[in-house]
Amino acid sequence: MIGSGVIMGQYYPALSPIHSMDPRAKIVIAAIFMIVLFIGNNFWAFLVMGVFAAVTILLSKVPIGLLVKGLRPIVFILVLTMGLHLFLTPGPAIFKIGPLTATWAGLIQGTFIGLRLVILIMFTSLLTLTTSPIELTDGLEDILKPFARLGVPAHELAMMMTIALRFIPTLLEEADRIMKAQMARGADFESGNMVKRAKSLVPLLVPLFVSAFRRADDLAMAMEARGYRGGEGRTRMRELHLAFRDYLAFASTVLLTALVFYVRIRFGPVITGPL
Amino acid sequence: MPIEVKDLAHIYSTGSTHQSRALSGVSFRIEDGEFVGIIGPTGSGKSTLIQHFNGLLKPTSGQVLVDDRDIWQKGMSLRSLRQKVGLVFQYPEQQVFEETVREDIAFGPKNLGLSSEDVAKRVEDARKMVGLPADLLDRSPFELSGGQLRRVAIAGVVSMKPKVLALDEPAAGLDPRGRDEVLENMTKMHRMGMTVCLVSHNMEDVARLCQRLLVLSEGKLVADGTPREIFSRSSFVAEVGLRQPEVVSLMERLRSRGWNVRADVVNIQEAYAEIIRELGRRQGS
Repeated sequence: MIGSGVIMGQYYPALSPIHSMDPRAKIVIAAIFMIVLFIGNNFWAFLVMGVFAAVTILLSKVPIGLLVKGLRPIVFILVLTMGLHLFLTPGPAIFKIGPLTATWAGLIQGTFIGLRLVILIMFTSLLTLTTSPIELTDGLEDILKPFARLGVPAHELAMMMTIALRFIPTLLEEADRIMKAQMARGADFESGNMVKRAKSLVPLLVPLFVSAFRRADDLAMAMEARGYRGGEGRTRMRELHLAFRDYLAFASTVLLTALVFYVRIRFGPVITGPL
Repeated sequence: MPIEVKDLAHIYSTGSTHQSRALSGVSFRIEDGEFVGIIGPTGSGKSTLIQHFNGLLKPTSGQVLVDDRDIWQKGMSLRSLRQKVGLVFQYPEQQVFEETVREDIAFGPKNLGLSSEDVAKRVEDARKMVGLPADLLDRSPFELSGGQLRRVAIAGVVSMKPKVLALDEPAAGLDPRGRDEVLENMTKMHRMGMTVCLVSHNMEDVARLCQRLLVLSEGKLVADGTPREIFSRSSFVAEVGLRQPEVVSLMERLRSRGWNVRADVVNIQEAYAEIIRELGRRQGS
């Protein structure tokens, strides 16, 4: 029924140095990596970053097939961008299709942008694959904490994310049950045109909302009954500590950044003209 | 309209890492007009089983025959089957969604494509059947008490005029009066010729109401017989993780103290009669 076949979350449990890293370190490094990826302006930079990403993937023990599968949703964007670059960049022609002219410059530029996207998705999906949702929200909360003074409700955001993640399976299960109950009353969710189908969702959505609100109410009550009063002065069961491996990871990221800057200056942009 | 289950097995999430076997090798036949209780500890497959009766779940293997025809055969309409076999889920009030009680009870009949007069008549019949006061019909379901709402939900299934009605713990979570009313309704429906199938954790209820019990344990049918037959096997009942109705335990304890009472009583009336008879005999001697 609903939800079967959908992989819940993306976490791939394994024992690896990447899995056991501090989630804060992983988030920060992923962010730096993204910025550095856009600083790199030639294929040498991508070689350096590709090696960095490959080593990280190997260390993480996440099967490469899973990462490739993660690329599936972006195939369309990938093809579209590469196509646009191929045909819309001015320069000496390779071949023509009707009014469209493919150029060498376009080919190079398209490949360049495509490669950048692939490296980006592969590396960042590694973050969610090696970090459980709870760790991820804990890490985010800690990173956002300094911004609390600027009015960013760090703890509340993290708590909201945790609760949302916690209730996804519950709500799916409930949707499944209500759907069956309405089907037992002759409801039909599968046939008819768009309008009819949208209408047929009312008997599913109304009860689902009602119960979601009731759950939210109950949960709020239960949290208060156990003394919850926001993030102020709240301690953690699992405290986050940066370990040697995290510093090592930071060091290699700094090294990576330096290298990318070096090849940027040394070799110059792969494409002259605006990107 | 008999329901027959042949060597039924159901496995959830087949092929994935968390596949679990909910039912295996279950076979039985329920005849017209029976009042059957399905009992078994939590996780024994009771709810999974009744969801096969109207084709909400497809058997992993085995057959479900309604009116001696396999419901998963080609050309069988699941929608017309669902009209004939009504299913009341646990906490059915969660399925109520319309603005008024009347409209919600009418949801099923409307799906059957009946004329508005027929729908109105169905709503009225269902309302009477579950004993709901007429003035509640135009209220919002969300203003009603738990017991009333439960009856609205049951009426929403009864209004389909099913020949077989399966209920999953219809009295769970209700106050004593709500319980009595809901269970009373079921007896009424049974008297009117419906086949009733009751899933329950309450041994007193099933002993009092049902003519026949199906006992499930870990996805297997471990017993099929009258409440009298099943509850008199005290070691078996304990073994599958259930308990005897209190009157049965009472009779056993009285017997162990030398009282000459029957052990196979299943309800309070019988127990009362037995105890009075025995007391009379003792006074006489």
